[in-house]
Amino acid sequence: MRSKPPKVIVYLANIPLNILLYATLIIPFALMIYLAFLSWNPAAGVDWWQAPFAGLNNFSRALQDSRFLAALGRTTAFVIIVVSIEFVLGLVLAYFMIEEFKGKKISLSLIIYPLMLPWVVVALIFYLFFQDYGPMNNIFLKIILGDAAQNIHWFLSSTTAFISLVIADIWQWTPFIFLIMYSGLSAVSKRLIEAAQVLGASTRTIFWKIQLPLIRPLVLIAVVLRALEAFKVFDIAYVMTGGGPGTSTETLSLYIYRVAIEYHDISYAAALSLIVLVILAIIIRTFIWYSFERGVRT
Amino acid sequence: MTKRIISKFLRYIVIIAFLAWILIPVLWMFTLAFKSYPEWRVAYFFPKEPTIMNFILVFEPKQIIGMMGATALVDPVTLPFINSLLVVGASTVLAVIIGFFTAYGASRYNSPGPFSLFFTLLTRMLPPATFVTPIMVYYANLKLLDSHLGLIMLYSAVTVTYGIWILKGFIDQVPVEWEQAALLEGATHIQVVFKVTLPIVKSGLVVSGLFIFLLNWAELLFALVLTNVQAVTLPVHISKYVGAVGQLYGPQAALGILSSLIPVVIGYLIQKHLVTAFTFGMVR
Repeated sequence: MRSKPPKVIVYLANIPLNILLYATLIIPFALMIYLAFLSWNPAAGVDWWQAPFAGLNNFSRALQDSRFLAALGRTTAFVIIVVSIEFVLGLVLAYFMIEEFKGKKISLSLIIYPLMLPWVVVALIFYLFFQDYGPMNNIFLKIILGDAAQNIHWFLSSTTAFISLVIADIWQWTPFIFLIMYSGLSAVSKRLIEAAQVLGASTRTIFWKIQLPLIRPLVLIAVVLRALEAFKVFDIAYVMTGGGPGTSTETLSLYIYRVAIEYHDISYAAALSLIVLVILAIIIRTFIWYSFERGVRT
Repeated sequence: MTKRIISKFLRYIVIIAFLAWILIPVLWMFTLAFKSYPEWRVAYFFPKEPTIMNFILVFEPKQIIGMMGATALVDPVTLPFINSLLVVGASTVLAVIIGFFTAYGASRYNSPGPFSLFFTLLTRMLPPATFVTPIMVYYANLKLLDSHLGLIMLYSAVTVTYGIWILKGFIDQVPVEWEQAALLEGATHIQVVFKVTLPIVKSGLVVSGLFIFLLNWAELLFALVLTNVQAVTLPVHISKYVGAVGQLYGPQAALGILSSLIPVVIGYLIQKHLVTAFTFGMVR
């Protein structure tokens, strides 16, 4: 039915969506571009349309802002670390879960439920877990380190604070990669694998030469979606470490939030946002083009 | 034969280890919520005398003052809970309705234009922190700050993309012939949409609705920036609770459990559709 659409359907499909998008998102996006070239701080008592132009000052300031660059680098490192660990864990787990065994159904339900929990609750769970009196130090690390475990204060040193964020993220999102890999691996035809077995291929060869190549498009989708999601990291940093100690676990989202909300430096926050946004929009556009328009589907 | 036993053994070890890793942190929060005040700091999992005191404290925080160095009085969880239900419920309904219309157009006639579809996907994939600043300025001018309406509109706008892509998958599977048959019988296009297609994709509406509910229920950053007193949602309340009363582990844990009840039930209901949902229908 790819004929000319009836008018009523065109209205129905376009008008509600566009009203919603323009009213809540497109106007603010336009406003952001304008704000980024101003020098405006609402604490000064003028409205944004009265604020003086700043030209490219906000942008040149961003390029010299060590806290911004550090947050950008830290967030990128966070993304690379968590996505690689989650990918390996998720794939291994999917590989082991693929065959039938007793208790498979309940294991599946349990494995994926961290995905449903609100991010704030995950942050809370690990905030409680890593407290000085919490089980991490007093039960689990005590077995390995003995009483020395008492001296670890997870949120007081920048390395351990960062590790705690990484652990929380891996805990919640490994199931995401697992889920996609699992659905991909279950779709690989059993006959293909049986045929390879008859021909004498080892389990390892089957995995590397048949299963993995067949789910390659899914690997790309899983990794890119996860990386984009991980790049947003805000909730766990805000709740667990508050970006601390100092600013040593401040993520990009947290820094922009602080510039805007705590320092009221709206026009600078808009400029920072714009820089990040342009970089990400190009990546996302390429990805959407690749996966939707070239039709990578399984 | 021995090789087979070893691989079976290995599989069980991997799965059990993973289940333990998933369950232990949650178990800690769960048991902590039922521990009485002296047991909050002790290193064992199961409380000697389980109590529901922590849940009462979450609703009646006046009794907290003076305990464990708590200085700030935190509001009861009642208002944030009602706000969350209201805002998330309304925005979910809105996103599903608009998503359905758009999905229908996209599935049957390739409308609407690529810009709208790309834009909805883009706003879902970008970090909320990168566009919350201008929304705050804009809402301040419209007097929508700290209002339910502002939050409802924003939430439905950033999740409508899931409504579109999940429902498009469902509508694609409805045979076009059925619609054409109805048209030949003299039905109008509107009637076809509401009387033929809509009833068939009912389960799609439920799946996309529950998934959108899940996402909006968890949303923190927008609510943190755009609300203050009146429209505070549950995630904002939790984040404030941790900041204001850092050492009150028991009530914090109780709050965590309270706010996970609905998501866990929803998650159980839509397990089978999670892959499709999380990947915008790119993976089925």
